[in-house]
Amino acid sequence: MLEIRGARRIFTTPEGGKVTALDRVDLNVDENEFVTLLGPSGCGKTTLLRAISGFEMLDGGTVRLEGADLSKLAPFRRPINTVFQSYALFGHMSVARNVGYALEVRGVDRAARERKVSDALETVGLSDMGSRRPSQLSGGQRQRVALARAIIAEPRLLLLDEPLSALDRNLRQQMQLELKALQARLGIAFIFVTHDQEEALTMSDRVVVMREGRIEQIGTPREIYRHPRNRFVTEFIGETNIFALTVDRIEGDLARARTAEGTCLSLPAAGRSRGEAVTAVLRPESLHPGAEGIAGTVMRSVYLGSDLVIFVRPEAGGAEIRVTTRDGADAPMTGDAINLAYDPAVIHILEDR
Amino acid sequence: MALRRDSVVLGVLLAPVTIFLGVFFLVPLLIIAVFSFLTPGLYGGVEWSFYHWNYGRIFGWADGIEEIYEPVYLQILFRSLAFGVLTVALCLVLCYPVAFWVARLPERARLFFLFLVALPFFSSLIVRLYAWLLILKPSGVLNETLIALHIIREPIELLYTPAAVVLGMVYVMVPFMFLPLYAAIDNLDRSLVEASMDLGANRRQTFLKVILPQTIPGIIGGSVIVFIPSVGNFVVPDVLGGAKGLMVGNLVEQQFLSARNWPFGSALSMLIMSVVLAVLLLATARARKAGGQA
Amino acid sequence: MTPRVAQMGLGAFSLLFFAFIYAPLLIIIVYSFNSNPVNMMLWDHFTLEWYTGLFGLSERGPEIGDQNRSLYLESTDQMLHALRTSLTVAAFTTTIATVVGTATAIALNRFRFRARRFYNGFMLLPMMMPDIVLGIGLLIFFVTIGLNLSIVTIIIGHCTFLISYVFIVVQARIAGIDPALEEASADLGASEWVTLRKVLLPQLAPGILGGALLAFVISMDDLVITYFIAGTESTTLPVFIFGMIRRGVKPEINAIATLMILASVIIAGFGLWLRARKTD
Repeated sequence: MLEIRGARRIFTTPEGGKVTALDRVDLNVDENEFVTLLGPSGCGKTTLLRAISGFEMLDGGTVRLEGADLSKLAPFRRPINTVFQSYALFGHMSVARNVGYALEVRGVDRAARERKVSDALETVGLSDMGSRRPSQLSGGQRQRVALARAIIAEPRLLLLDEPLSALDRNLRQQMQLELKALQARLGIAFIFVTHDQEEALTMSDRVVVMREGRIEQIGTPREIYRHPRNRFVTEFIGETNIFALTVDRIEGDLARARTAEGTCLSLPAAGRSRGEAVTAVLRPESLHPGAEGIAGTVMRSVYLGSDLVIFVRPEAGGAEIRVTTRDGADAPMTGDAINLAYDPAVIHILEDR
Repeated sequence: MALRRDSVVLGVLLAPVTIFLGVFFLVPLLIIAVFSFLTPGLYGGVEWSFYHWNYGRIFGWADGIEEIYEPVYLQILFRSLAFGVLTVALCLVLCYPVAFWVARLPERARLFFLFLVALPFFSSLIVRLYAWLLILKPSGVLNETLIALHIIREPIELLYTPAAVVLGMVYVMVPFMFLPLYAAIDNLDRSLVEASMDLGANRRQTFLKVILPQTIPGIIGGSVIVFIPSVGNFVVPDVLGGAKGLMVGNLVEQQFLSARNWPFGSALSMLIMSVVLAVLLLATARARKAGGQA
Repeated sequence: MTPRVAQMGLGAFSLLFFAFIYAPLLIIIVYSFNSNPVNMMLWDHFTLEWYTGLFGLSERGPEIGDQNRSLYLESTDQMLHALRTSLTVAAFTTTIATVVGTATAIALNRFRFRARRFYNGFMLLPMMMPDIVLGIGLLIFFVTIGLNLSIVTIIIGHCTFLISYVFIVVQARIAGIDPALEEASADLGASEWVTLRKVLLPQLAPGILGGALLAFVISMDDLVITYFIAGTESTTLPVFIFGMIRRGVKPEINAIATLMILASVIIAGFGLWLRARKTD
């Protein structure tokens, strides 16, 4: 439905330097899809969003919505609405007038407007708040008003620019679920921008991981988490252990590989060859104390409620390995010698090194 | 920040100010510059030929035959500068402690005193100046009071002295110094002061090493705002100063409204303008430096 | 010196400071009710005659003689005329300066263009220019192009520097308005002009009102520039009072001054009320 081809945007800094905010970005968004743009600040995700909404002109490439080129269209002519990070509620208008603004500027008559406003307010659960001022609402309520305002004109596509970042943790998690439900109910595509990987994994149909103006990987949350394409994506999506290995020998289904320090790991043999250098990813939750595996010593542990994170120094030396395990009576203690067992099948090999 | 691209809207918004200030601000200043090199006409106005005696009269560029150089104009110019500097210094000394005191008051009291400082902004300058005429004149409040208290026997001469001029300028300028100073002091990060004390600095050291440097932008801002109208002032010396309190502004006024020597008046204005520009450049350079340190 | 003593010293100094600011004004007010016409600093008894005299209602006719009486009346007419001129000038100036200053502030804060930095600096110049320089510059200019000095030239003169004042005040306000508000408006389908009218201007309203108030007050009070470019028929109130003071101090001036102080308190109170409203 939305097609972005070769989007390029270069900023000139006040000192005269050039910053590439978008570097030949291609992206497709399907009907009724929840897509999240994820990346650290400065990765270009907001620039991409603003190029879709029309606040940023592209230096190259096209944005098409259902086949129609949007590139030359002013923001107010695009059938796309945005929920702003700061909510951008008009402080001099009532909540109802805020919500009805898109209809007001289109010249929709008062009766029809009022009906739709009350529908929209009901959708977000704020039916009796219409006469209030935005300043009289809580953060979560403002968030809902911004949402109601953005959906009232029935856009083909809703853009959300880190809309939950100002909310506290509990409210944020509740809103994540509500947003997802709302999207399903409205049946329109959402493009959601965030730098919070957990948020991205929770809500999205697909996640677009960006860095320095480029798309690093596009995939379902599971793909992104289980099979990150490269080191950047791996490290950005949650804590992890990364091993730089050289393949020693192939034994049936398994390849035996070791780090420079001498720690040995077993990998799936498929596609591996002797002497090959590979980068392997082993998530902390894929390791657990066992009878055999990587031998090491528990250096310290961090208590996280249900989970316990322990940091293990391999016997052979090298970086500490992070392990997530259940807390309990038999939980490993600092100073314990330990073996870290794992299923070789869950080891993921990165494409880059 | 919003990136708008509608150049028609931009043109509509920007055209009025461009035309208005171009015609009624830049052109008049340009005319002053041009006139300051022209020959004065017999009955006001100018003749379109170069004349050196406009600036010559001030700086001593005389032909030695008909033109006899007198340093009086330069003296008056220096006096104006001195009065300006003195006014700034006195305003600073008056306002700094008070701004400090007000900044530490509880909310309501602070707003009340801020209102008291701001009120003169809204009241007429000429009225405020007139008050001092009543106070300083020979039969005025001050003399009568001093006589009644048997401190003096005869009225002393207070009006039409340089002191009266500086007093009057300080009086009308004081709110302009106060508000930037107050803003700077109020913006002061209290935790810096506490940190300084915590690290063993006493009050004096804390003031000199932490508070004062932090408020430099306010001091510079207030000083510029006070100095510029002071140095070119002609109303205060006109009302409160006599011949001894004459300032360069009075000279300019005379050249235009009684002597009708426009080129000479323009030359004097150019001097005022260059002093002001020099001060502005200096202040922005200092402010930039102070800003760079922060 | 203990901190407490230092604090008290600071407080005492501050109170003296406020006495210094207000005592002269109080003196004017008190003496405006003094009936002694010869030495107005010598208290005689309470009177309102300087006020009634101001409005041509003096009952002291026989005492001061017919000739003096007509003089009073004449100056009363002149004063009321000057007040009318001042109000007219201030009304026009405030309107023009507010519109132009606001437009400029919006242009410089919401658009990106090459000359932006130049304009930002340039807008400060008229404020920083000593008023005497601006006054004589305008005088020469008007005479050179052959424009008669009148109420029109005063309005033009006031606008040259008051545009900058409005600009500064509105600019301060606009800088605090989230640009996302205007983006939201555009996003929701409003064109540039609709956004300006429905979102930006209402948001800016307190700033615009504040700028207009400042322009009005400064225009009413301007002496120097007006002094140079006012024609003989178009004297404003400050210029009129300046002239009166130059001719010699008369008790009526006390009454005028007191009324002006009163007016300024009212305007300042209005300004304060505006500020208080702005914050909520």
